[in-house]
Amino acid sequence: MSLFIERLVNGLADGSIYALLALALVVVFRSTGQLNFAQGEIGTLGAFVVSTLTLSGLPVWLSILLAMVVGFVISAGVERVVVRPIEHRNPGAVIVALIGVFLAVNQLVAMFWGVDARGLPNVFPDQADDFVTIFGAPIRVARLGVIGVLIVVLLLLWLMFNKTRIGLAMRAVANNQESSNLVGIRVGTILVVGWGLAGAIGVLAAALLAPSAGLTGTLMLGPFLLASVAAVLGGLDSPVGAVVGGLIIGLTEAFMVGYVDFLGADMLFPVMLVILLVVLLLRPSGLFGSERVERV
Amino acid sequence: MSGDALLAVTGLTAGYGPVEVLHGLDFTVGEGEIVVILGANGAGKTTTMRAVSGMIPRQGTVEFGGVDISGAKPDAIVRAGVSQVPQGRGTFTDLTVEDNLECGGYTVKGSIAEDLERWYGVFPRLAERRDQKAGSLSGGEQQMLAVARAMMSRPKLLLCDEPSLGLAPLITKELFKVLGNLRDEHGMSLLIVEQNAGMSLALADRAYVLETGSIVATGTGDELLADDTIKEAYLGVVN
Repeated sequence: MSLFIERLVNGLADGSIYALLALALVVVFRSTGQLNFAQGEIGTLGAFVVSTLTLSGLPVWLSILLAMVVGFVISAGVERVVVRPIEHRNPGAVIVALIGVFLAVNQLVAMFWGVDARGLPNVFPDQADDFVTIFGAPIRVARLGVIGVLIVVLLLLWLMFNKTRIGLAMRAVANNQESSNLVGIRVGTILVVGWGLAGAIGVLAAALLAPSAGLTGTLMLGPFLLASVAAVLGGLDSPVGAVVGGLIIGLTEAFMVGYVDFLGADMLFPVMLVILLVVLLLRPSGLFGSERVERV
Repeated sequence: MSGDALLAVTGLTAGYGPVEVLHGLDFTVGEGEIVVILGANGAGKTTTMRAVSGMIPRQGTVEFGGVDISGAKPDAIVRAGVSQVPQGRGTFTDLTVEDNLECGGYTVKGSIAEDLERWYGVFPRLAERRDQKAGSLSGGEQQMLAVARAMMSRPKLLLCDEPSLGLAPLITKELFKVLGNLRDEHGMSLLIVEQNAGMSLALADRAYVLETGSIVATGTGDELLADDTIKEAYLGVVN
């Protein structure tokens, strides 16, 4: 029982990070219809910014917030400088450009921070004795903290999308850009904000992952792939789907490694691929993706 | 006329890339007037609407309330008081009816609660369905929603792009009654592009006939309704 609880919490904590990253992908996809290949790398860059800031003496939480601002600016800049000018001329080329951004950011990180792994302090208490006991299972506080962050982010996003003017505009732009323009929404501004938001969330995910995974230039490669699977699994246009997809992957990872002897951690990607395939065969638009209903 | 017209368009040229669709249109819409631009498929009706509302690059002058809005962006034109009901309704299908209306009032500073109640009063069907997704409404209801949404920005001029498209004749009749009421009871000015000549000309104070990007005839609604060439081309009546 206690082992089960431990695996459950670990799965949810890892899943929360995938969910955050998947959320970022979905926010961009809903507004622009693009899979942001650079999402993970912008997160990695943000995690290195956190490292630099904490080394200069700032508290970890403040460093993360500042790095999220950096992530916001970079991601917003990618939309404005790379995506939009290309999209007008050739929408198909955007995907290639984003792979270019992925490589560029990846190399920038190596240039500024080198290729050696470094540690990143945890924003939550993470000493040897920082755990609580739930149903007899020792659960690290930092793991619960990650799950808590996901819940807070979800709450804030829900409030923003449903209770604010800019959130309404973001939903409108995601649904119909032409009509958004016609009701007087500055679509360009909304797209920039959406991408920026995604960038900030991506940095948060990376900063939560780095303390346990170790901070290297390839920190977000695997998580980005898993988050992409999570987003597609949940339905690329559904924030709820992104979260559910992320948690499913986290839990699959934890339980598979824990309970299925012949499937090691290395088998996670093949297993996820099989799950993804089955889900998409049964529900082509993902678990929560909208099959557009429209009467004429 | 153009001295006191609400909307005065002169030499309007527009198109897509190298293709010029409109070849120098001149038309006006007066205060409290319904003006119809009649045209067949491909005449340039939608392009005219998109050019006036700033959605595509255009040449020539567009004056609204005496102010030159030729170079203004779409959101600035909405703020100036020109609102559009796009072709095919363009409702936000994934958003609720109420969210759609709130989007319509996006440019309004301050509370839009009264506007909501006002248009729910005019369109009680929308009030009943305020929490439904707009995509689940019937075509007629969506068209009403598109009109109500456009009115939420408190415009002085309403642009309607083929409002009768895809609607059953009875619904179209109801819709045109609503559009007439906007003029008669709310003091609105309307510019409607249509190919449904019978109903739109009956409603229009004045009308223009648009053919392959040029205006070829103009007159009052009744005059054009009585015109033999119009009858033949748009009403299928052969004398």
